[in-house]
Amino acid sequence: MSYLQLENLSSTIDDFVLDNVNLNIEENEYFVLLGQSGSGKTRLLETIAGLNSSSGKIVYKDKDISELHPEQREIGFVYQEFALFPNLNVEQNIKFSSKYKKIDNSKELFDDLVDFLKLGELLKRDIENLSGGEKQRVAIARALFSRPKILLLDEPLSAIDPTFRNSIMKSLKDIHKRYDLTTIHVTHNFREASYLANKIAIIMNGKIQQVGRSEDVLNHPANIDVAKFLGFKNIFPSSLLGFSSSSKFFSVDPNVIHVSNKEKPTCDYTFEATLEDCMGVVDHYKIFVNVENHQFFIKILKREYEGCYANGGNKVFIGFDKKDIGFI
Amino acid sequence: MQKKSFTVLLITLAFIIVFFLSVPILKMFVGVGSDKLIETIKDGEVLASIWLTMKVSAWAMMFVLITGLPLAYIIARYNFPGRSLIESIIDIPVMIPHTAAGIALLTTFGDTFLGDFFKFFGIEFVGTEYGIMIAMMFLSAPFLINSAKDGFRKVDVKLEKVARTLGASPISVFFRITIPNAKKDIINGALMMWSRGLGEFGAVVILVYHPMTTPVLIFDRFNSYGLSFSAPVAAVIIGFSVLVFLAVRFATSRLK
Repeated sequence: MSYLQLENLSSTIDDFVLDNVNLNIEENEYFVLLGQSGSGKTRLLETIAGLNSSSGKIVYKDKDISELHPEQREIGFVYQEFALFPNLNVEQNIKFSSKYKKIDNSKELFDDLVDFLKLGELLKRDIENLSGGEKQRVAIARALFSRPKILLLDEPLSAIDPTFRNSIMKSLKDIHKRYDLTTIHVTHNFREASYLANKIAIIMNGKIQQVGRSEDVLNHPANIDVAKFLGFKNIFPSSLLGFSSSSKFFSVDPNVIHVSNKEKPTCDYTFEATLEDCMGVVDHYKIFVNVENHQFFIKILKREYEGCYANGGNKVFIGFDKKDIGFI
Repeated sequence: MQKKSFTVLLITLAFIIVFFLSVPILKMFVGVGSDKLIETIKDGEVLASIWLTMKVSAWAMMFVLITGLPLAYIIARYNFPGRSLIESIIDIPVMIPHTAAGIALLTTFGDTFLGDFFKFFGIEFVGTEYGIMIAMMFLSAPFLINSAKDGFRKVDVKLEKVARTLGASPISVFFRITIPNAKKDIINGALMMWSRGLGEFGAVVILVYHPMTTPVLIFDRFNSYGLSFSAPVAAVIIGFSVLVFLAVRFATSRLK
């Protein structure tokens, strides 16, 4: 039995449907829910926290908590926009839960959070005078002060200045360990996911498309939609390589495709192609060629090639090796 | 050159309306003279009517704070069939003539089944402070409800959601997060309702001539004795209203 189990969890509000979500999340796992905006990520987090009406089951430590009110679940929530209470100062925000819950060793916990998240200078400040990063630290401290077992993070990095993102990603990992949490982190950024996650679930249009270990999901997308979302390029039917199955697809990285206007490259697969376009971008060319009505996108370094194959319509040869192909 | 003449035009037109809005009020105090004003302030009947008007308008405001805030919150937060209808119903009193509203209230709470129902509990509306209260409330409640509704809409629903995950029950969230963050609009609406209630004449006079609220007293003195007897009363109620209004504004601006 998993630590947190979602069984056929569904929720419909207005026109959006969260559709039969099944997930198993283990204790102390850093679980990333990856999806584009509008895919239902935040809705799923809110449903886990009990903030939306839903059907299906949420089982936490073998106990069905689906009918529990949000205040009875041991869940902390940090919203993308932080949702700090404007009528309270920083310290009052952090200590909000102490009015409603008995917090074990609250003094020690408060001091530790203030110290770890570097909030000492901010405690008496009004929240409107804080920067994005400061607001985030306060929001995290507020959630952790209620001693949650599960921490839900809704796009925690998107409202943060890009220069601080790496250091904040590192602190998120540290917080997860230090406070003995099971974290569910929602994002649209797969780099963020690959750095933080033990496990990743891809969500699209309210449906979970793929769940698995971080490296499996990121390297072996389960379907074309997931592959496109993860930034895979050159996705074509495997019949192009001579396979008989028409339902399989393959993808090849634009950086590993060889191209020549003179002779066939020595590769496992080679094709004669028609050059459609070539664009010079800083240190490389982006080349678009057509093979049997499929457009390949190729990136080549300027220093390795002499100029672009400028004339559209010219014949060129392209090639790539078996080891560089990923099947979908 | 063209720009300058446009600016002059703007300022001139703006000045006309400011002049129109402010001069009658100033004229009230300057024209009446201090002797008359002091004499009026000492007049027991005037003071009693001012106290009555302020007190009953405050009751009406309190009643709508208790019943109207939940309504405003429901409208601001939930999407339900009939919401626009309810919003229109709230706005109706603003649009109808006040004397017509008085007649409507009389035909509802006067010598009717509903009137008898309240009489059973010792509450009568014709010729009583209760009558003044419902007349004021009927016509000025929309100011408080609509302002509170706007205030609640400005409070991000995520604040309420986070508060729930931090252990607060829905009622604690309402009192500790929602109301404090919509406070400004609620106070403005309440003040607006109270001050509109002070000025209510048309509906009040139909339900309750005695005891006299200040607008009824002004009308009565104007009718019986003329301008020189009614103007000081008008000046005094305007003065009192402005004082209370400024005091409340000052006090609330110092609240966090």
